[in-house]
Amino acid sequence: MTVSVVRRGDGSYPALLAQIPDPPSRLWLRGDAPPELLDRPAVAIVGARACSGYGRSVARLLATEAAAAGAVVISGMARGVDGEAHRGALAAGGATVAVLGCGIDRDYPAAHAELAGAIVAAGGLVVSEYEPGVEPAPWRFPARNRIIAGLARATVVVEARERSGALITADFALEDGREVLAVPGEITSALSAGTNALLRIGATPATSSADVLEALGLEAQPPMQTIPDDPVAAAVLNAVRAGAGTPDELSRATGVGAGEIAAALALLELAGAVAVDEGMVRSTIAR
Amino acid sequence: MLGRAITFALVGLEPRRVEVEAHLRTGQQPAFSIVGLADRACQEAKHRVRSGVHSSRFAWPDQVITVNLAPAALRKEGTGFDIAIALTVLAASGQLPAARLAEHACIGELGLDGRIRGVSGTIAAAEGAARAGLTRLLCSADSAREAALAGIHAVGVRHIAEAVGYLRGEEEIVPASRTTDPRSPPDLPDLADVRGQERGRRALELAATGAHNLLLAGPPGTGKTMLGRRLPSILPPLTQEEALEVTRIHSVAGTLAPGSGLVQAPPFRAPHHGASAAAIIGGGTVPRPGEVSLAHRGVLLLDELPEFTRAVLEALRQPLEDGVVSVARVGGRGLFPARFRLVATMNLCPCGGRGDPRLQCSCSPARIAAYREKVSRALLDRFDLVVAMPRPRAEELAAGPAESSAVVRARVVDGVSQLRSALPRRTGAASELLDSAVDRLPLTGRGRARVARVARTVAALAGSTDVLPEHVAEALAYRSPTGLTSP
Repeated sequence: MTVSVVRRGDGSYPALLAQIPDPPSRLWLRGDAPPELLDRPAVAIVGARACSGYGRSVARLLATEAAAAGAVVISGMARGVDGEAHRGALAAGGATVAVLGCGIDRDYPAAHAELAGAIVAAGGLVVSEYEPGVEPAPWRFPARNRIIAGLARATVVVEARERSGALITADFALEDGREVLAVPGEITSALSAGTNALLRIGATPATSSADVLEALGLEAQPPMQTIPDDPVAAAVLNAVRAGAGTPDELSRATGVGAGEIAAALALLELAGAVAVDEGMVRSTIAR
Repeated sequence: MLGRAITFALVGLEPRRVEVEAHLRTGQQPAFSIVGLADRACQEAKHRVRSGVHSSRFAWPDQVITVNLAPAALRKEGTGFDIAIALTVLAASGQLPAARLAEHACIGELGLDGRIRGVSGTIAAAEGAARAGLTRLLCSADSAREAALAGIHAVGVRHIAEAVGYLRGEEEIVPASRTTDPRSPPDLPDLADVRGQERGRRALELAATGAHNLLLAGPPGTGKTMLGRRLPSILPPLTQEEALEVTRIHSVAGTLAPGSGLVQAPPFRAPHHGASAAAIIGGGTVPRPGEVSLAHRGVLLLDELPEFTRAVLEALRQPLEDGVVSVARVGGRGLFPARFRLVATMNLCPCGGRGDPRLQCSCSPARIAAYREKVSRALLDRFDLVVAMPRPRAEELAAGPAESSAVVRARVVDGVSQLRSALPRRTGAASELLDSAVDRLPLTGRGRARVARVARTVAALAGSTDVLPEHVAEALAYRSPTGLTSP
């Protein structure tokens, strides 16, 4: 494990982070990537740990396309939205940065130790303001969030309950004068209460990765997915976009049997056009 | 005088030949002892045998009687030795022809009035007798049909007096023949009761055809258990050989109805999640088959899979992989076949709200993780088919009755015979699709093999001799997702 430290005042200390009201005096870095990675255009993608399938697939979609366009994806390595954001960036072969709320030698949550390894292996960084040995504690997470917001040019909140940690990150980003985006959600879902409240007070709606890339000043890459050349798959994709949520609903919408629906969904999933999660099908291609 | 009879003790499902010898000598006091590592139930045979002989018209020799069960090193348990002991004592005292007795194997329990009762494991003992070259078996009339399945002349007797009369040649008894009566299919719950859930039904059909393990995950009340309970109704009948295996296990376990012959319907077992590892896997000081073996060639339904103890879940891995359970105990080692179709159900989270658009899940991520992590990656990998069953909308429930079990079963029977005659082979394009899926999806080596197996079943159900790309694609849709272990 390669661990290094950058101090405030060093030439390699991230410039954006230095601009926030209370930047950490030093930053521990885990990984072989140079600290200059933290100066590349970066977007923070954060949200609920107990997110819905919708939140998971949107986090992944936005992260994948942002990373494909060359942005560094920053998040907090928590379960739910954070984890999907890192995974999405990794899937696009991009660099991603995880900011910890505990000592640099810890993997928190422990279930994401493998993810931390993958982030470092893919040329990303795990960073923390805490020296090795510091235990994770609830009161350290808001402090961690100021670093996430401080490293990023823009912060995207994917799903957040009314009093979510992700909203704290958004607050920091607003204070730092950075762009804040929120993903619109169902008005009846508690998981979207926080994001919809952000939209109400003027956050930019993140309706596609283009919105995110615009905030970063980056050009969108042409989508990597190719839709399989198959009439059933095309019909299924149309039905998914029209709002059919489960394979059985797709069966009814298209008049195709369960077996063929399953086959079409697998092909679409391989092509990256849909995600199937806990029995719900979602389109992963922005219109 | 010495009397001799042959009977069989069971070690697991294996019959071991036991010779019963009775020796009489004149002593000062009449006495009766049984030697040869006989357990408690076997020692109590003394009382049953003496009363049984007394209540018939035979004389109990007032001498010193020693009964030896050889080989003396083999532990013997149970009540199946009763009639062998009674008949050797009678042979030793010259009340029946000893030579005739030695031509028969004997198994059965004696009542105080001389009545003969069936014991568990009769078919296994009968098979042992047939293998040992004996042609006749004396057993209770109740278990004669069962014993005859071993291909031996099973002489069914109701009473010790009847047995003696037969051995003396005074009475004719027609041995039970090896017949299997055409039985009407048992009354099973029908698939027509399940509204909607096309994907779940399709997966059930695949599980029936290819003998795949199936995991149904979804919020409570979506019909997961209902579907699982209907798997037996679409299974093809057991082959003769399978039926014998099933009958043997159930005979040894004592779960066979008295007087029944061959078990023809695939068994169905649904143990409660409070069951111990020994009850599920098999065990006991003298090894006994557990639920996994009782479900052999049939269906094991584990409802609420994560609620089972970790010990049970981990112990399931051996039978799922090898199709056999090995139970080693002081009392011997038992090898029990356990090739079953596993159907398991689980919720998506402990509160059950996940996957139900009308409910809000109140579980913390850590709680969900703990719930799902109980079903380890290694166990999840052993499910060929994993299907999420979200809550159906009202319109589906209002839909008319769906296909009945009989219709689905006909397709399954065709698919099974296709799989038995020639395994469908993957075309080049299908292999290509599978390889590209392995590159793009988190699919382990074992996962890849499972997908390939399911694809063969899909092809067989489609009546195709080739596994085509669309068959692989459908199989991929049922692969076990990574999402079920880490939320």
